[in-house]
Amino acid sequence: MEKILVLLHTTDEGALPKAALETIAAAAVIGAYDLGVIGANAAAAAQSVSAGAAAVFAVEGEQFAQSRYATDAAAAEAIAKASGAAVIFATGTMRFNRALPGVACRLNGACETHIVAIEPDLKVHRWYYRQRMEATLSRAARPWILLLEPGAFESAPAAPGAAATPIAVTVETRTTVTGYHAPNADQQTIRPDAQLLLVAGAGWTKKQKDGATHTPEAAGLILNFVQKTQSSLGSSKSLVDLSGEGQSVLPFLSHLHQVGQTGSSPRHRKGLATCCHGEEPHVVGWRFINDRRAINLDAACGWSRGKADVLYVADSFEVMRELEKLL
Amino acid sequence: MAYQIIVCGGLAPDPLQTLEPVTTPTGPGLKNELMLPNVFDPWAGHALYEAANLAKNQPGSTIKVVSLGPKAKLQQVMMTVAQKLPFELIALDGPGGGFTDAVSVSKALADAIAAIPGFDKSQALIFGGWESATRGAGVVMQMVGERLGITEQFLAVDELTVDPDGALVIKERVEGGKHQISKCAAAPAVLAWATGSLPEPPNHPQTGMANMRVMMPALQKAKPTALDPAAIAYAQVALPAVTRQTRIVKDVPAADIAAEIAAWIKQ
Amino acid sequence: MNTDPIEQKPLDADIVCVGFGPATGGFLTTLTRGLETIDSRAMPGLPPQVLCYERADDISFGVSGVVTRARAIKASFPDLDTTEIPMAAPVRDEKLVYLLDPHGATRRPALMQFADKVIEALSGLLRVEHQGFAVPFCPDFLHKKDGFIFSLGQFNQWVGQQVMMTGLAQIWPSTPVSEPLIENGKVAGVVLAADGTEVRAELTVVGDGPIGPVGRRLDEIVGMPEGHKRDEWAVGMKMVVDLPEGVDLPEGTVFHTLGYPEPEIFGFFYVHPGRVASVGIFVPSWLESPVRTAYRYLQHFVQHPYIWRYLKGGRMRSWGAKSLLESGRRGEPQLAGDGFARIGEGSGSTNVLTGSGVDEAWLTGVQLAEGVLELYREGLPFTKENLEARYVARRRKSWLEAEGQIAEKARNGFQRGVLQGFLGMGLAGMTSGSLSVPRPAKDKTPGRLEDFYIGRLTRSQIDTIRLRCELESEPLHDALMDACGWPKIEYDGQILVSHQDALLMGGKVQAPSEFPDHVVIRNEHVCDDCGEKMCIEICSGEALHIAAEKPAGRPGFDREKCVHCGACLWNCVHENIDFCAAPGGLHSAEN
Repeated sequence: MEKILVLLHTTDEGALPKAALETIAAAAVIGAYDLGVIGANAAAAAQSVSAGAAAVFAVEGEQFAQSRYATDAAAAEAIAKASGAAVIFATGTMRFNRALPGVACRLNGACETHIVAIEPDLKVHRWYYRQRMEATLSRAARPWILLLEPGAFESAPAAPGAAATPIAVTVETRTTVTGYHAPNADQQTIRPDAQLLLVAGAGWTKKQKDGATHTPEAAGLILNFVQKTQSSLGSSKSLVDLSGEGQSVLPFLSHLHQVGQTGSSPRHRKGLATCCHGEEPHVVGWRFINDRRAINLDAACGWSRGKADVLYVADSFEVMRELEKLL
Repeated sequence: MAYQIIVCGGLAPDPLQTLEPVTTPTGPGLKNELMLPNVFDPWAGHALYEAANLAKNQPGSTIKVVSLGPKAKLQQVMMTVAQKLPFELIALDGPGGGFTDAVSVSKALADAIAAIPGFDKSQALIFGGWESATRGAGVVMQMVGERLGITEQFLAVDELTVDPDGALVIKERVEGGKHQISKCAAAPAVLAWATGSLPEPPNHPQTGMANMRVMMPALQKAKPTALDPAAIAYAQVALPAVTRQTRIVKDVPAADIAAEIAAWIKQ
Repeated sequence: MNTDPIEQKPLDADIVCVGFGPATGGFLTTLTRGLETIDSRAMPGLPPQVLCYERADDISFGVSGVVTRARAIKASFPDLDTTEIPMAAPVRDEKLVYLLDPHGATRRPALMQFADKVIEALSGLLRVEHQGFAVPFCPDFLHKKDGFIFSLGQFNQWVGQQVMMTGLAQIWPSTPVSEPLIENGKVAGVVLAADGTEVRAELTVVGDGPIGPVGRRLDEIVGMPEGHKRDEWAVGMKMVVDLPEGVDLPEGTVFHTLGYPEPEIFGFFYVHPGRVASVGIFVPSWLESPVRTAYRYLQHFVQHPYIWRYLKGGRMRSWGAKSLLESGRRGEPQLAGDGFARIGEGSGSTNVLTGSGVDEAWLTGVQLAEGVLELYREGLPFTKENLEARYVARRRKSWLEAEGQIAEKARNGFQRGVLQGFLGMGLAGMTSGSLSVPRPAKDKTPGRLEDFYIGRLTRSQIDTIRLRCELESEPLHDALMDACGWPKIEYDGQILVSHQDALLMGGKVQAPSEFPDHVVIRNEHVCDDCGEKMCIEICSGEALHIAAEKPAGRPGFDREKCVHCGACLWNCVHENIDFCAAPGGLHSAEN
């Protein structure tokens, strides 16, 4: 069996992200593994989950507390070399998605991202063409870095174990992380941990039965729903595009909300699509939603039928007005 | 500050096309791949529009697009892209689909960039999409950067501004609908763009005609580029088979539908 | 390199072409082969600057499949290898099939009904299968047995790639041209629709098809030749289908059909390589129905037992529609003038007897290019006189003209009735045009609903349907066809899908938002007095619809659904529709 390294990072607060335990569990199924953690409080974080690890490494210190390519890549390279692992399981966060492909190149290896399943013989599953087809593949190149899609694997309980061996890394960088920009709490409409994803389609800004558009009302209904249910808001590409072109649009939408074709593929337990006739969310952005419902005026909509569990043939405005009273 | 902006961008099927995988003698491919209309990869497109904007604000900057794909398809797609803004094309004639090996692609692109006459790394900003719409891996740009020895790298960039002191201020997407803000003292850097904030520029026939005078010769002498077909062993490529038994609820008052949905949300 | 946007100023070229279809393909293929040794007159020292503007978003979008004898195409490419062109194949097995009516819902003349009974009675002898009678011979004038099956989108893409790789012509997609640029009574170039850019050229080649705004504007300016009219049209609507497992019709199989879904509607079925078929119909302007609809008829056509046995279980890959100018030589405009020449379908090249237009269009482009190269070599300007001597004269001497003359009166009979129409085609075809059915003094025009449905629906039934449809903002054709006994369409989600899903799954229709609506009702009050609103009924994409927000059920236009077929233009009996230049429409490359 090839040597495996599980590579994790901590958050700015020094904790492991939720998906870290998923990565450990996925590796444990395959075989024995080393553990390496990068970031603030890395050594303590590593020890908190190191029960199953053969060897434990950590790179920490002020320079490595920040999510930044140059430092993360150097730290990952050092741990990979210290372990000598042939296959590296890592958490597919934005931080590692940024840093580890370059590390693979540096080590003359290869890297796969967005992995959703791994077979015992190390064939990995990932999606191509914007989640429209799934491939099962393997590589001969080593080291092979596998970035696991958060939410795609079962999680293991945290079991503390041996203390980490600290690795000293020096690296020069011209980049400083200066902070974050987040929407105000009352404008927060992207909630990755929400139970429900509400997908708003371009129909919300189109002419309604009376021949007029009702975009302000649509905006109110959607925002109110999202706030009351604490759901996450996604949007179809066409609706987001409209906002870039100065048309009558929902004011709070940005490309960050986009799901499907050229957006994210969020993982939520439930999804409710509204006004999306003929748009991609039904097909693509929904791929990782377990329980899907759609409100749509066209019963024959080929993009809902066979894709949603329940299709309500109704006017989304009317249904959302009623929902507003109930929630 | 004048930058040498290099935009790496490939081709992707027109987003509305129906895609189906097939097995070819050289590995997986798309059914009717030859027939599918292509577009400039949408993420790389955002990078290109941002490049144009940056070049406009930083006099003396240049834009070169390095693109790997079948020559005839590149040529066809350039007839649309070349109308948007002025740039030079470095065309690499090779396979362009999503199932190609990212490691080989990064080598081809980095070699092409390094071979650009007058390429000055100290002024280089290497742009691209944060993922392609084909492979969707988001790894090529980092590997290109590594091969060029550029370790100031940014992924899922939505905004770049240049401070008066020449520092690059960059907003990258991170989890939870937030942006991380970084300051990079100077070029060189790799920026893999998300959507940015600029709309697609309208077509400009004069720009197109001027671009094409230099692009056609570049296309005609596009360097044949081979990738490693054996790097990846594909066991299977398949469309998701899940077709759901959709329950259709119609001719029901909106209030009743709302009640059902409310109960479902609370479950 | 300067990265500032270039200032808005006129573009100078030598030749500007409008529209990239088979005619312009033939033109540019021939022209670029002879251009290298010629000096530009606009930019001395360079080869002539040749620009072509196509309104569709890709040179492979939005056109149709075709079976063609390809005589002119083969002359341009003597060693043509069809395996280089996706979906192309040599014609292998060609049949003319008379389709019986499985539902009794079509409007068949009494004589045709009698013929049906005879065919049914002798079905064993005549080898009638699946309610289709394969006519034992395909008339000589109809056959395409030495030709090819193409997807015109794929053929255009292949031709465009060859042309552009020469580096001697630029073909710009997604660039509609709004009108010709007229100066001192001459055509001096064109005006681009997006931003009004003037493109100046010594020669403007107009190949923008029968509904192209440049060709139509030129007709207004220079007038049609004496006795020439564009008054016969059809909507061709088709789908491209992945044939189901187990259907192994050889590639190159071709059926031409007649008799169903209405006696006036011809159909086709071609098998491409890779178990893919093109299947479709032509709904002609002489179908008198005021609620003629191509989509509903197409759905019945594909379900005819003769066709359905091959399609059932298959899947729609592509769908599309276009207008065909069927006036043939009678619709020929002024072919040349000072600074311009007309080629292709819009130049009246389609042969309505042989049902062939692509190869003829190609030939017109070849002929113009040959003439242009001669004029270049001799240093002569592109005047009306010179273009007539070098292009039009070539055209007149070729098989295109000879066959066009034979076909000129072949379809006159359809203005009297279906049977007279078939008789006229047969007569013209068999006698090389010497005999034909004379055209009546007044052509057939769509009647009022009440007249069209006499004997089938009562006036009160029609009134009820009309009222209901107006209330529900629905077109009339579905309700009327249901009432007349046409079976309802049971959607299977694969081939039988809603009209909107055909747009999405098949046509992949798109509209860029930055352009204004390209279909404009000139005077909405005129619509108030229009009983039938054929523009809505015929609309291939349901883009024209009864607008609930407007008074009296006036039409509204949703450009996101428009496939740019142009049927509204010739179906508005009040000539109250403007059809302007715009990009967008179909995004399928397989039609």
